[in-house]
Amino acid sequence: MLRAIGLTKTFGAQTALDRLDLDIRPGEIYCLLGANGAGKTTTINLFLNFIAPSAGEVQIDGIDVTRDPVATKQHVAYIPEQVMLYGVLSGLENLDYFSSLALGKRLPRERLLQLMDEVSLDAGAAHKRVSAYSKGMRQKIWIAVALAKQAKAYLLDEPTSGLDPQAASEFSSLLKRASEGGVAVLTTTHDLFHAKQTATRIGIMKKGRLVESLDSAQIGQTDLQALYLQHMRD
Amino acid sequence: MRQEMRLLLAERSLWLVSALFLLLIGYALYNGVHQTTLRDRAQAAITTDDARTRADQLSQLGRIMAGREVPSPFQNPADPARMGGGFGAHHALMPSAPLAPVALGQTDLFPGQFKVTYQSKIHFIHANDIENPWHLLSGHFDLAFVIVYLLPLLIFALSYNLLSVERESGTLKLLLSQPLALRTLVLGKVAVRAGVLLGLAVLVPLGVLLLARPESAGAGTSTLWWSLLVGAYALFWFALVVAVNAFGRSSASNAMLLVISWVVLVLIAPVLLNLGVTAASPAPSRTELATRTRMVTIEAMNRYSKLLSADYRHIGKPEVLLPKDGKIEMSGRALASYSIQKQIDEEIQPDLDRFDAQHARQQQLVARYSLLSPAAVAYEGMTALAGTGARRYAHFHDLMDGHHQAWKKFFFPRIDGGIAITEADFPRIPRFVWTEEDARLIDRQAFPALLKLVMPSLLLLGIAAWRLRSYPVV
Ligand SMILES: Nc1ncnc2c1ncn2[C@@H]1O[C@H](COP(=O)(O)OP(=O)(O)OP(=O)(O)O)[C@@H](O)[C@H]1O
Ligand SMILES: [Mg+2]
Repeated sequence: MLRAIGLTKTFGAQTALDRLDLDIRPGEIYCLLGANGAGKTTTINLFLNFIAPSAGEVQIDGIDVTRDPVATKQHVAYIPEQVMLYGVLSGLENLDYFSSLALGKRLPRERLLQLMDEVSLDAGAAHKRVSAYSKGMRQKIWIAVALAKQAKAYLLDEPTSGLDPQAASEFSSLLKRASEGGVAVLTTTHDLFHAKQTATRIGIMKKGRLVESLDSAQIGQTDLQALYLQHMRD
Repeated sequence: MRQEMRLLLAERSLWLVSALFLLLIGYALYNGVHQTTLRDRAQAAITTDDARTRADQLSQLGRIMAGREVPSPFQNPADPARMGGGFGAHHALMPSAPLAPVALGQTDLFPGQFKVTYQSKIHFIHANDIENPWHLLSGHFDLAFVIVYLLPLLIFALSYNLLSVERESGTLKLLLSQPLALRTLVLGKVAVRAGVLLGLAVLVPLGVLLLARPESAGAGTSTLWWSLLVGAYALFWFALVVAVNAFGRSSASNAMLLVISWVVLVLIAPVLLNLGVTAASPAPSRTELATRTRMVTIEAMNRYSKLLSADYRHIGKPEVLLPKDGKIEMSGRALASYSIQKQIDEEIQPDLDRFDAQHARQQQLVARYSLLSPAAVAYEGMTALAGTGARRYAHFHDLMDGHHQAWKKFFFPRIDGGIAITEADFPRIPRFVWTEEDARLIDRQAFPALLKLVMPSLLLLGIAAWRLRSYPVV
């Protein structure tokens, strides 16, 4: 579903991403770990065609994203670290706006309210202006958009950073539910615990290269931590 | 698109800008309709006045012929020299076109009425149009001013940060993670803003005009051209906004760049164009013409000085002023001023022709290089459609020249032959008849103007499309 083949991105003389190969199937949650500047966000941005690859190829559902970006985006839901919605609109209006862009048609009001309910936002919050929302609330609206879209692939860039533990764990279970429904997930994080809890596979990046790729079930929490730190030391 | 509209509606800027625009349009229209109505009324008054004077003169002539009244030497309707001069003269009028209120143009630089006599044209026209080929700043607060000068600023206010604000606030990434091309997004945003502004700029004036001047309903073609012109002008500025945004700079630099381009294109370019045209094809000096007129006048007065002073002998014997057998004796003074004016007319005509030719050359140059300033193109186009531009004035002058010739042709032989004006002559005195210019001329001028706006817009949109492909989303 989500595929990178020899994916390389250079910014001037600097190689941000070096020959990355990835293949994430439906039902998988692939978690990228790595230090600041390792190339995690660059990878996600390449999948979204926000930046053009210097070499290699990115595919979503078999479609090259540089060739038909609009088509590939029908299938993906993207959650950035900071979800920035339109502050002048209410949560419900934001959901209405973005879901209509995502689907090409407007959803009935009952469906919108139902989606709000699914991400556990109450009706009081739904009608408040988003400028008065917390980060977590904005993210919930955005998850509702992803749900409305019924995306086949999720691209998540540090989605749990800044969320309180309860919200983060709610988010994890939501992800798990989605992947059980056949969604392919690519996520990045600095939180090893969260990675171990949620991911089916874990990749460790270092200076633009994928230096380790392992099955989450095959490794314990402490081993993962040791392995990670060892890579960072080298 | 409907969603974009709702987003825009939620923002205060749209309401502020629309309210301001509506206010400006309203005041400009009020001003335009008011000025035009004043002008129309003044012209109507002149027409009735002229007709009444003529009728009075006719009945006066009747009384004189019946021996019931003794003519005064200065106001004798039987005297062709008096009637062909100021006493019998009528006005040549250029009526206001249906769309006149939208662009007052040069209405107070170029008067729409002249009192035509046998004198040289130099006496009744003011050669204002000669010195300055381009009166962009006419000083009127009319709709053309609001659109040419202020609409670009309102467009900026609504869209200078069209894309940059989305990038800066982080919403662009969310938008573009949806199946939506950047180009479509930009198009939608522009369409909504253009829809609001153009709706106000076209529909409000249309409604007001139909109410205030129902005759404008007949000017369908001009109105259509007008709307297209406003649309093309707005398109240019929107294209500029999109092109500037496509370079991916910050909202602040976008705003600065746009204001600079406004200053250059709206304020500076027309002035430079004027300077360029004047340098390339300098206008003959008006002081020179005035001096020349004075010299010619002095010469002529010297020549006829004897005749001029041989006057006032009639005052004691008014009966000699009565027509006898169709002949009339004219006072020496009247004959002298006739001869003087005739000589001035003949001698100054080549200078006037030179002025006209020069003026036409300048207009041509202006038309050729107006491409450099869309503001100039739009303004010229709008005054042309409102019937207050250079072309219709030139048409008026042509008609007036024809009338002037006919006037002289009617009176000169009578003055030269000492033939009295009879009651039967009255209906035959040449009348100025206004005929509207050929409607095809309007199309012929409006279409190139439209092209001159659309072409640079397309160029800008091309640049924008090219830059948008590598737009820095993150
Ligand atoms: N637009 C850009 N221009 C130049 N260099 C860039 C650009 N975007 C990213 N980089 C560089 O590419 C490298 C990878 O950056 P990236 O944002 O992918 O790191 P990351 O793994 O997401 O880090 P973090 O954990 O801090 O989010 C960094 O060295 C960064 O400086
Ligand atoms: Mg990052």
